[in-house]
Amino acid sequence: MLLRLAWRNLWRNPRRTAIVLAAVAIGIAGSLLSMAVNYGMVDQMVRTAIETELGHIQIHAVGWEDDPKLERMLADGGRAAEHVLASGPELRASTRRVRVDGLAISARGSAGVAVMGVEPDREPAVSVLRDALLDGEWFGQSRLRAVIGQALADQLEVDVGDKIAVSVQDALGELTGGGFRVAGTFRTSSSDFDRSTVLLRLAEAQQLLALGGAVTEVVAVARDDDEIDALAQRAVKSLGGTAEVRTWSELQPLLLYMVQTFDMMAWYLYAAVFIAMAFGIANVLLMSVHERTREIGMLRAMGMRRGQVIVLVVLESLLVTIVGVVSGLGIGFAGALALRDGIDLSAFAEGLASYGVAPRIAPVLRPSDLLIPLVVAGITAGLASWWPAIRATRYRPAEALRRS
Amino acid sequence: MSELRLAWRNVGRNPRRTALTVAATVFAVLLVVDFTALTRGVHEKMIEDSVRLRSGHAMLAAPGYLAERSLDHFLELDSAMIARLDAVPEVEGWAPRVVGFALVSQDVTSQGVALLGVDPRRESSVTSLPSRVVDGRFLSADAERGAREIVLGKRLAERIGARVGDRVLVYGVAYTLESAYELFTVVGLAQLPDARLERTLAVVAMADLQDFLAFGDRVSEVALLARSADRTEPLRQALVSSLDGLVPAPMVHPWPEVMPDLEQILILDDAGLYIMLAILVVVVGFGILNTILMAVLERQRELGVMLALGLRPSAIFRVVFLESILLAGLGLVLGLGLAIPIGLWMEAHPIVMGEQLAGLSEFMGMEPVITSNLAFSTVWKSALVILVVATVASLYPALKAGRANPVDALRSL
Repeated sequence: MLLRLAWRNLWRNPRRTAIVLAAVAIGIAGSLLSMAVNYGMVDQMVRTAIETELGHIQIHAVGWEDDPKLERMLADGGRAAEHVLASGPELRASTRRVRVDGLAISARGSAGVAVMGVEPDREPAVSVLRDALLDGEWFGQSRLRAVIGQALADQLEVDVGDKIAVSVQDALGELTGGGFRVAGTFRTSSSDFDRSTVLLRLAEAQQLLALGGAVTEVVAVARDDDEIDALAQRAVKSLGGTAEVRTWSELQPLLLYMVQTFDMMAWYLYAAVFIAMAFGIANVLLMSVHERTREIGMLRAMGMRRGQVIVLVVLESLLVTIVGVVSGLGIGFAGALALRDGIDLSAFAEGLASYGVAPRIAPVLRPSDLLIPLVVAGITAGLASWWPAIRATRYRPAEALRRS
Repeated sequence: MSELRLAWRNVGRNPRRTALTVAATVFAVLLVVDFTALTRGVHEKMIEDSVRLRSGHAMLAAPGYLAERSLDHFLELDSAMIARLDAVPEVEGWAPRVVGFALVSQDVTSQGVALLGVDPRRESSVTSLPSRVVDGRFLSADAERGAREIVLGKRLAERIGARVGDRVLVYGVAYTLESAYELFTVVGLAQLPDARLERTLAVVAMADLQDFLAFGDRVSEVALLARSADRTEPLRQALVSSLDGLVPAPMVHPWPEVMPDLEQILILDDAGLYIMLAILVVVVGFGILNTILMAVLERQRELGVMLALGLRPSAIFRVVFLESILLAGLGLVLGLGLAIPIGLWMEAHPIVMGEQLAGLSEFMGMEPVITSNLAFSTVWKSALVILVVATVASLYPALKAGRANPVDALRSL
């Protein structure tokens, strides 16, 4: 009953209500879209890191995180770790890697690089590196082939088919090196990674480093983001103190900070927009209550209680806000949908790539994007209606009626 | 004049409504001015950190160097060029560098590094590298050629397990493409705001690096410091004309060319800020629109009488427009009255970030301190935006008021 009354009251002055609705809708749609683009950017940053080198979970020898020395290796070649990972349903794929710092040298220059020994047949299930091939092929058939970042190839001034030398310090502490022919080059979304990565075959890297069968890490991806923790926990339980199990967020806490900071920012943004709206909503309600002095007096005279008058005004406030928020969310979602192929920011490609973001950013909507505006809107509507509601109850029926 | 008085009185007619609208405007002004100041401060700090860490405000290098950064592109720093560098008053300081790549190792752990050869006497005139040594000391200015001192980033040293006084093996490829190795003595560890750089930077005396790389007296680049970041362009122009005639002529690259990624990130960040503020201002603009429209609709009768008495529609339009400007102006004056002191206070009291945000700033490569920077241009531009919004918001109600029909208005009496 009160709800119907409130709804009708809103449309008594359609122009006024429409303007408030428009303000709320535009504010919400704008906030939703800009947050969605921000999330899209962070999401990409995380994905790039996971898909190039982090994976969801990495398993190392104990002590590797504090002091990543070549001595700290999985001596069994990661067999135990892979066995544990594969024993449950959460795993999508895993692979083994060797990783060491080294120097890449060509006839034209040299660069400091991370040398990664990968399993050519298993790596593509875990990372995007093979899909990111720009030129040449993924190792191919011949021996002693390397796949390197395109940015590194540019710096060394080499093309596919040219030779590079890779210098490293082996497990015995000796400086050693080997010649490799560039089989292919790749370009990922991270300029850092492309500038500093040389991929070798795992077996050839182990030989170069005099490692025997040992590997640095086992990298795994879960079937689903929700299953990462379960997978990690199972690995921790089974491997106990014999290995270090780390999820991507433990390996790159800064990425997690980034995600959390954006979550925080969303609240601030919505709060700021809603405070600005609250003034407008309060203003309209105040006017409408003032105009209805006589009517409210009449209702009171006919037996409407003070509490009911308050509920009526609060309902009007809630209705206008919620209708505004819902239409704003609708517009925002439609906008995000229209932009789902991504916003082209190639003019800023270098800046984005230095943070591991591709130049095409698609907005990402999350469940919290629905929740936060509704929660904040509810609070705002309540607060904004407080003053008008109190005013409405102050009219004494007799005086209000006399004012006609 | 009478129009202004009329408008002013109308604004005062419904004090509650005016108060709410003004409060919304004050809120918007506060956010617009102080957030812009905060962002500006962060951006200037990011530029300054990068400039004073490594690049300088501008860089002098051979054509093609910037794209490849290899030893193939070099400068001959002869007396003629030194004289010209010293002769340009816009150049606050300059420092030559040789840049190479090498593996640095201690025992069994090695790490690839950017090997920066600097002139210890000149380096502090451009970057703050010498003062960032937290353990030990920077390269001594009067060490002989061949002393082979090295300063490592702190994280780099931790990684390879090196301490001050240790000798580390540096292994690289010389200009002649022969491999080169040499022992260097660690004299200091440097802490840098950019964690990535701290993991991969090693600094040695330029002369030692020239010998190590068999590079002769060539240098890779000369970092230049302007009097301030916004004097970069005058510095570039002065240098270009001063170096004119040198063969081969070196290129002068201002910092956005040296660090295009930084400039782009700042532009994107600005865009994000402006979008957010625009949303806010539009919401407040709708509030003003509603207030003025209501005020006009309430006064239909009164406006009709005024028109019937011979007031021109254009005068009515002006009164309504002035009301809107007065309303926004009031919010603006009060808003700036709050925003400017707060902005100045934030400027004087830099915010030290908590642990979580400190991690983020490490990611961005800056120190975890936010110093706000309130510029006069921010203040007047914000004022302009608010007034423009108020003007636009007043158009519809003002047109409506000017079109009020005297006969209808009077009949509704």
